[in-house]
Amino acid sequence: MTVADASAVVDRDTRTTVVTRSRHVPGEPSMWFFVIGDLFIFAIYFVLYVVYRQQQHALFLSSEQHLNQGIGAINTVVLLTSSLFVALGTQTARLGKARDAMRLFVFAAATGALFPILKLVEWLPELGAGLTPGHNLFFMFYYVMAGLHLCHVMLGLVIMCFVIRDLRISKAPDMKFIEAGATYWHMVDLLWLVLFALFYLMR
Amino acid sequence: MNTTTASTLPAAAAQKIPWRKSKKLDQWICYWSVPFFYNLFGIVFVPLSWMMPPRSPSSPLPDVVAFMQSHNLLLACAILTLAYGLAPVSNAVYLTQMKRMSVNPAFRVTLMIGSIAGAIVGMLFPLFCFGLGAFRSGYEPAVLQMLYDFGYLAFIGSLGCFCAMWMAFGLAILLDHNNILPKWLGYYTVWQFVTELVAAPVWIDKSGAFGWNGLMTFWLAMLIYVPWQFIVYVCIYKAIRDQPEDELDNAVARKPGRAPAGAGA
Repeated sequence: MTVADASAVVDRDTRTTVVTRSRHVPGEPSMWFFVIGDLFIFAIYFVLYVVYRQQQHALFLSSEQHLNQGIGAINTVVLLTSSLFVALGTQTARLGKARDAMRLFVFAAATGALFPILKLVEWLPELGAGLTPGHNLFFMFYYVMAGLHLCHVMLGLVIMCFVIRDLRISKAPDMKFIEAGATYWHMVDLLWLVLFALFYLMR
Repeated sequence: MNTTTASTLPAAAAQKIPWRKSKKLDQWICYWSVPFFYNLFGIVFVPLSWMMPPRSPSSPLPDVVAFMQSHNLLLACAILTLAYGLAPVSNAVYLTQMKRMSVNPAFRVTLMIGSIAGAIVGMLFPLFCFGLGAFRSGYEPAVLQMLYDFGYLAFIGSLGCFCAMWMAFGLAILLDHNNILPKWLGYYTVWQFVTELVAAPVWIDKSGAFGWNGLMTFWLAMLIYVPWQFIVYVCIYKAIRDQPEDELDNAVARKPGRAPAGAGA
């Protein structure tokens, strides 16, 4: 998990930007510990979901029909777009262009913020129609796992705000922190892709 | 942050201090009370009463009545009544180390209030519910069933306070510039928060993966919680061990006007 990149360091004394090429693990090792562990935990949830789905296949299949595939697809595009901005922002920050990087992270946060709004738009009618977590096992899995993912999204948005703050106020961006935030956001994205496939597309 | 150990005392002199006179003695006593407390809890909950692993939420009424009026449950509740006061001591161990962190005291206060609320809801309520069943004979089976539900739901389904306190603890570790506890422990603690959230469906489902004895709500949470509990105490042990003595609250001598131990040496 190393990246070859052009990283820029602003020398505080000479006010010059030194661009170096290096291979390193992006972000902080502790964030990778979290990401890998989180993926492992979600993997267990996914496996359990598939096992229960096999046991009650007809119920799960009929319940899936009630989900709004359109909003699910839009949310996928939303997260992928947000992730693209995050990747571009990180790359720009490595080149020492803090202002441009900040702008890209603002776009990423704004796009990412659409996700919870769209979730609300999706869930309110479903809940209103009585498709609550207590309706059946499928909806329990759906709300629990999508809800957990939503918590991750919210946390990711908070982290993104801190990244934007760091890019705005500091002369030398904290690349480790920015990369850690980007890593986390990509993980959120990856989890959603699996969730989308499991809940909306799997037949 | 000053990381030199016992900066006001020469290292050799610091090593010669007998453990009984160590300024960390009170902290170490609190610390070692924790494994005692958890071992006691383990014995009471598992082999003595078989409260844990949780019995089924949809157990037949005769089974519930037999459990609620069993002698073993009575003995377990008697021990818990005497020992639950050790819970604040274990939380004091966390809080003492959190105080050293560079974060806002709000995190520490959140953990403190959260743990108090958690102890009331997650420990006292179940104790009263199971204790009532065990100590007071003559309740109707329906009442015992209600106490059984209440006890288990309070124990496993008390989410909010634990969510807030673990999140405060995890964030405090992550935001701390003094590196009192390792960053990866902060992330691990965030998973604790996640497991509390996953336990929410125990209020809805009475069986299966999301019942209070379910794979998702209990067993997976235990898979994360049990190693975390061990690891966090190893980390706290290292934090206490590495804490400079002059940083302790009791480093100042008791006699008014006297300088902290070793000051000026």
